Amino acid sequence: MQVSRKYGVLIGMAIVVIAGIAAVPAPSNEYKNLKVLPKDISTKDLSRIMIDEFEDGLGVSCGFCHAEEKDSHKLDYASDENPEKEIARLMMKMTLDVNEKYFQVPHPLIGDSVLSIKCMTCHKGQPRPGETE
Amino acid sequence: MLLFNNKKEKMKNEKYISVNENDDGIDRAGFLKCMAWAGTGLFCIMSGGVMKSFGMSQLIDKNIGALKKGLLLPKADFTFAQISDSHIGFNKPANPDVLGTLQAAIGKINAMPTAPSFILHTGDLSHLAQADEFDTLDQAMKSAKTGKIFYVPGEHDVLNDNGKQYLQRYGKDTKGDGWYSFDYKGVHFIGLVNVVNTAEGGLGVLGNEQLEWLEKDVKGLSSSTPIIVFAHIPLWEVYPQWGWGTRDSAQALSYLKRFGSVSVLNGHIHQTLQKVEGNITFHTATSTAFPQPQPGTAPAAGPMKVPAEQLRSLLGVTSVNYVEHNHTLAITDTPLIAAKETKMENQ
Repeated sequence: MQVSRKYGVLIGMAIVVIAGIAAVPAPSNEYKNLKVLPKDISTKDLSRIMIDEFEDGLGVSCGFCHAEEKDSHKLDYASDENPEKEIARLMMKMTLDVNEKYFQVPHPLIGDSVLSIKCMTCHKGQPRPGETE
Repeated sequence: MLLFNNKKEKMKNEKYISVNENDDGIDRAGFLKCMAWAGTGLFCIMSGGVMKSFGMSQLIDKNIGALKKGLLLPKADFTFAQISDSHIGFNKPANPDVLGTLQAAIGKINAMPTAPSFILHTGDLSHLAQADEFDTLDQAMKSAKTGKIFYVPGEHDVLNDNGKQYLQRYGKDTKGDGWYSFDYKGVHFIGLVNVVNTAEGGLGVLGNEQLEWLEKDVKGLSSSTPIIVFAHIPLWEVYPQWGWGTRDSAQALSYLKRFGSVSVLNGHIHQTLQKVEGNITFHTATSTAFPQPQPGTAPAAGPMKVPAEQLRSLLGVTSVNYVEHNHTLAITDTPLIAAKETKMENQ
């Protein structure tokens, strides 16, 4: 009798723990239109990529790829209106492919310090490689 | 790709590329040229709408890292300090200890003969607009001996959320995206926001709503009222190719033309520059975090790595002495390296 009561308590505790874990929402962010970068990327990792890879790597600011909201100069980060954004996606895919295929980087991710080829490798602070002021 | 073109011969004999010989595009000569230019700083006196400036090399004894013997700060009714571009969260080789250099800047402020009435922080408090970065900055700024700290955002403070978090933390009693004004001992201070809206090429934008507010804000002021405007991105065209300017700043400045004395304090470019245009003196401050190259001397703007022993001479704090009766404003840019020695001199 005591043994079954003990099991009962343990099973009850297990149910509470499992239910608690299930109730915790999966990590999420407010990003609605990520197609190359991981959908569950943290704001910190995303911001770091935007600054290190794009602002420093290409010498551009957010408005180079992100379109403005209608009736304002504020940026609509989810919008695909600006064609530069799709080009940026293609370039990110190319960068990942080059790292994986030619540098044998397993499961490469944009912004990862182990990448052999990054935006800066070719762009060197310019929006388009080879351009000079 | 560029790398492949440069390494064709090497690749012929290799199945895979095993080494990435990256080049940062900035050579040693470029570094030194920029350091000599940016590290000197300026001492400025404005009188009757004209600002006179003196290189810090004229004032600072480089052997002791403090004011040359016999020099005294001008007498002032009040003083305030400007710091800028702290980039808390930045951790690259250009400066892996941005908190340490911010604390050194605060140490410099605390070593002033008289505590400044307040501090203006002209933006880029954080590097990635993260809550923990703002927390760290707030904690550090608490050690500054001053009455109050006024902020305007930099573009790094409004990443991803168009400045919502910045406004929650620092935007109390401000208008719109965080702009405001206040008066102190006869001087009218105006904090503007030119980083939330953007323009092509990364230029800052003030926007119509803020411009309308500014016009109304200064409308009732006497033309003899000294005006000090502070914003992150320069309100004059320092180097538009790198986004170092504000697209609609001309309209804002047109509202200030009738005033006898206008000073504009900015950050963003991480170096000291000064320009006088009519009644307006423009001044940009060094960063407390890392230097950037001189306009046009590098492929692009961005963190510039310099030898560790020279970093602090390129970072700094701007202090301002204001004398009420003759409306003279003196601005001094002080490299961080002088902080300790100045404190000793004052003891």
